Amino acid sequence: MQQRFSRTVSVSKEIDAGLPGRGLPLGCIHEIQNPGLASGIAFASLLAGRTPPFGGQLIYVASDRSFHPLGLLRYGVQPEQWIHVSARSSQDLAWTVLEALRCPQVSAVLAVVQSADLTLCRRFQLAAESSGVTGFLLTDSAAKPAIASVITRWHISPIPAPPGTTFSEACWDINLAYCRGGRPGHWSTVWRNGQLEVLEPSSETVESQWSQRVRFLPADRLAG
Amino acid sequence: MIDRLEREEPRCGAFPLAAVREEKGHLHIAAVNDLARGAGIQAGARLADARALLPALRIVLHDPEADERLKQWIVEWCDRYSPLAAHDGADGIVLDITGCVHLFEGEAALLETLETQLREMKFHVRGAIADTAAAAWALARFSKRVIVTREELPGALDPLPVRALRIHVEIATELGRVGLTTIGHMRRIPRDALATRYGPGVLLRLDQALGLAEEAITPYRAPAPYRTGQVFAEPIGTTAAVEHTLLGLLTALCVRLEKEHRGARRFDLGCHRVDGSTAWLQVRTSRPGRSVTHLMRLFSEKMSTLDAGFGIEIMTLNAADVEGAAPVQMSLPHCGDGIGKDTLLTELLDRIGLRLGFEHVCRFQIRESLLPEFSTEFVPVSSASTPNAHWPEPRVRPVRFLDPPVPIEIAEIIPGKWPVRIRVERQLHWIVRAEGPERLTPEWWRDQPLRWATRDYYRIESEQGVRLWIFREIRRTESGERWFLHGHLP
Repeated sequence: MQQRFSRTVSVSKEIDAGLPGRGLPLGCIHEIQNPGLASGIAFASLLAGRTPPFGGQLIYVASDRSFHPLGLLRYGVQPEQWIHVSARSSQDLAWTVLEALRCPQVSAVLAVVQSADLTLCRRFQLAAESSGVTGFLLTDSAAKPAIASVITRWHISPIPAPPGTTFSEACWDINLAYCRGGRPGHWSTVWRNGQLEVLEPSSETVESQWSQRVRFLPADRLAG
Repeated sequence: MIDRLEREEPRCGAFPLAAVREEKGHLHIAAVNDLARGAGIQAGARLADARALLPALRIVLHDPEADERLKQWIVEWCDRYSPLAAHDGADGIVLDITGCVHLFEGEAALLETLETQLREMKFHVRGAIADTAAAAWALARFSKRVIVTREELPGALDPLPVRALRIHVEIATELGRVGLTTIGHMRRIPRDALATRYGPGVLLRLDQALGLAEEAITPYRAPAPYRTGQVFAEPIGTTAAVEHTLLGLLTALCVRLEKEHRGARRFDLGCHRVDGSTAWLQVRTSRPGRSVTHLMRLFSEKMSTLDAGFGIEIMTLNAADVEGAAPVQMSLPHCGDGIGKDTLLTELLDRIGLRLGFEHVCRFQIRESLLPEFSTEFVPVSSASTPNAHWPEPRVRPVRFLDPPVPIEIAEIIPGKWPVRIRVERQLHWIVRAEGPERLTPEWWRDQPLRWATRDYYRIESEQGVRLWIFREIRRTESGERWFLHGHLP
């Protein structure tokens, strides 16, 4: 495993510790689940932006054109780096992702996919390994794993910002649900000064915050 | 003809000389030099008559091919005066000098330079400049005036003989028989009468001379089309055979493009079937291309759609949108893989563009506009790229942008501030934090500034931590506020 994923990028000091090769392996497929996608895109972009070479070409494949590169300036990716491919059908989308993953002059591929079966995942994985391109599959669904087989699977969800955070600092609950050759983990983070900082309060505290909020919801809100 | 001989052999000018050609069993004079012309010998006369007039006349055989070669050389030489140079009959050259005059300080200077230089090369030359090619033709041959403006044109043409209109000799003779010897005479005759008696060709020539009818000049060097083809002795029907032929055609075309430092953005393969129908395969590239392997790969992806029918008997390959493309530095076989900096990426984008359409493969063009609708633009990779504008500062902007904005339903609001409870796409959000407003006013220099009202943008966070980018439209009428969701923040 060490041999296979010799190239890595750092996610953050704390998160790297649980990953094989002390960093996010490159040249393979990662899945990022995030309802609403905004946080997932930002998380994937900050990782894609860190893949060498600096300023390399990133390909974003989706079925719509809602992608907005200016929002990702703070995550270390310049608008020139992006090539946006809008694919109508899921077949076209899968084909584009495969072709892009096979091109060694691409740094990383971000794709918004609905689902991917085992065969397709294997093909993605083989393509990524052959060229060294890293693939990030973004899914909107949080419920069940729509992507059959990946190297890592992340659940990103926004969390209420701790006091003193501005809107330029994204606050996420990062859940590494699956990691081949590594340890799953759970962190609350804030994106600050170009770094992913892990917040001190452990995940339990966040959970309790959550339950508290839910408990105090007035009846009319729930009916809403 | 005679000019050519005199250039080759200067002593030819010392005695009367005629070039003769055989016509209907007789020898006719094709051309004469100055001395012979002075003795009254005209081109077209019989040699026997000329000999009777001037026994000392020396003759050479007419060589039309050599003349043609020399004339082609002159036309090419004239290229320096205008890119539109063309042969005009056996003895003329026509130049379209529109837009070229300023390079020579006026028409007179241009004509004088041209004539002087040709005379120095020992050519007999007469030139004229007029607004129409036909008029210039007539003036150069039948008039002493050399430069005629549009207003002077009818007046300058009127005294010229009808032959100056480039009409058939027989028609000219017939016109002369009824007293119409000059162009002026013809202009006074009702047009209908001319057309019924002498055919519409006469009127056309008249109109061309006066600039009433168009006359196209065919440049001597029509650019050879980028086109190859192959005809088969036996119709072919298999994909392998088609691909094999295509490889040959592509190689031929690409070798030529390479030699001319050009590349094409579009290649059309026409497969002409036995039954007369034609199947077309087209590939496009994002940059001017001439790589045979890359084009073959693009074609082979389309090959499955090709229906050979009863067999293909002719295949043609056209290259279109040909542009200059600098030659690629080919690395030596031992040093690296010979792949350019982003060759593979370009080829990838070509393949994607070919399958999905190039309008779906885009880069981002950043504009210096704070209005989110105008700040970024999707630009197809196949179009020429322009440098990005500098985005002023990394403001907080959504990563998913909704265009058009989605109306949101306000359930509860702090008056004058942001909403507390909103419903977006049937989902209720409790807003716990907000930042703003960031006021964006429509830019007055845009097409329809009034289409947008001034907007107050807020960044809001729901109690689950979901961050949205919303705005309120500020209309002058104040007939109720309208709120919209414009993007998702991470």
